Amino acid sequence: MSGHGFLFANYVPGNSLLHRAPLWLKFLLVLGCGMASFLIVDWVVAAAALVLMCALFLLSGAGFRRLFRAVRPVLPVLAAIGLFQWWQLGGPTAARIVLNVLVCIVAASILTATTPVQRLLDGVASLAQPFRRFGSDPERFALTIAIMLRSIPFIAGAYSDVRDSARARGLERNPRALILPVFITTVAFARQTGDALAARGLGEAGDDHAG
Amino acid sequence: MTTTDGTAAATPARGRNRWNATDLGLIAVFAALVAASALIAAIPVGGLGVPITLQTLAVMLTGLALGPARAFAAVGLYVLLGLAGLPIFSGGRSGLGVLAGPSAGYIIGFVFAATAVGWLTVVVLRRTAGRPGRFRAVLLFASAMVSSIIFVHGLGILGMMVNAKLDFSKAFLADVVFYPGDVIKNALAVTIALALHKAFPDLLIRRIRTAATPGPVSAAPVAGAEADSRP
Repeated sequence: MSGHGFLFANYVPGNSLLHRAPLWLKFLLVLGCGMASFLIVDWVVAAAALVLMCALFLLSGAGFRRLFRAVRPVLPVLAAIGLFQWWQLGGPTAARIVLNVLVCIVAASILTATTPVQRLLDGVASLAQPFRRFGSDPERFALTIAIMLRSIPFIAGAYSDVRDSARARGLERNPRALILPVFITTVAFARQTGDALAARGLGEAGDDHAG
Repeated sequence: MTTTDGTAAATPARGRNRWNATDLGLIAVFAALVAASALIAAIPVGGLGVPITLQTLAVMLTGLALGPARAFAAVGLYVLLGLAGLPIFSGGRSGLGVLAGPSAGYIIGFVFAATAVGWLTVVVLRRTAGRPGRFRAVLLFASAMVSSIIFVHGLGILGMMVNAKLDFSKAFLADVVFYPGDVIKNALAVTIALALHKAFPDLLIRRIRTAATPGPVSAAPVAGAEADSRP
């Protein structure tokens, strides 16, 4: 959990067609799969779509293990839903529901496996671009994203520090002693960050000269 | 989908006029706090082996601590970046695929719940400005419960109905198991929020004061200190 390493876990470096495809095209793919999951009513079509998406995923050179890792977190709950709906609505409908969710998840992992995190974040920051005339400020937005990413390891570290000190005092069963110091540290850290930004003239509302 | 776009637009758009560097820092760090709380299993439950994550606590606390606008921005930023592909949702999940899963409603509900509880917090803190203490804590707890029942559980049930095609009664039963944990977490969130406002008196209170009446600033902190010295 130290550094930013865990944030890059999903990206698989490569130079395949999918890696070179523009971000908006991959986003449209995910969006299309999301729409399709409401329109597909036949489980055979859903299975075909899933095979297609898996083929696309493997085309990127990420490999079977990555594919499995992408869907593994949802497998238990999907299994539960599938069994329950099989009992309630019958086999084909249950298969269609589960397969449609899997199609969306595999499509979304194509996007994250073939796009570096930095480009994804640039894509998010550029979402603010069209709203510039309504007073949005992409640079301040990007700055906020950067501060958030930098803060996650700090807060994770605060959690483990506080847990250690609570254990040393024999308070590891007391939720208040486990949590409150983390939040106090967090607010103090946020305000120090804000002061540091202000001292450098960053992040103030008035520094947008574009308008 | 439109919700996330709206979040993206609103985050900087609201910030331009009112938010200074400290507000940006608070928004970013509270978004990180929600992310870290989702990733870390803080309290391992003994017999069940199911770790309780503090994510809902962090979400409600963001509203209780920051008020509606900044809480909306912080939790919205968290959801937006999770959907963009950072593995910051609970269990290390990420990406737009989450929107297709059964927990989609909960994740969208976080944004609205934090905003709603933030708005109610401002109302409660204003109304009880003269007499902090147990009454204020009870009202804040009620606000947190109402917000999480309407938005987290309401949208959570809706998400399960849409994505897992459960009917209402089944989705409701699947959702009910989260209530006991939520009651505990909301109670904890309120005590922590009150401690935070005590430790950082200008976190939200002064903003209310300047917004409502630019009167004497000394009244509320003194009252808070009196309540503190009482056993």
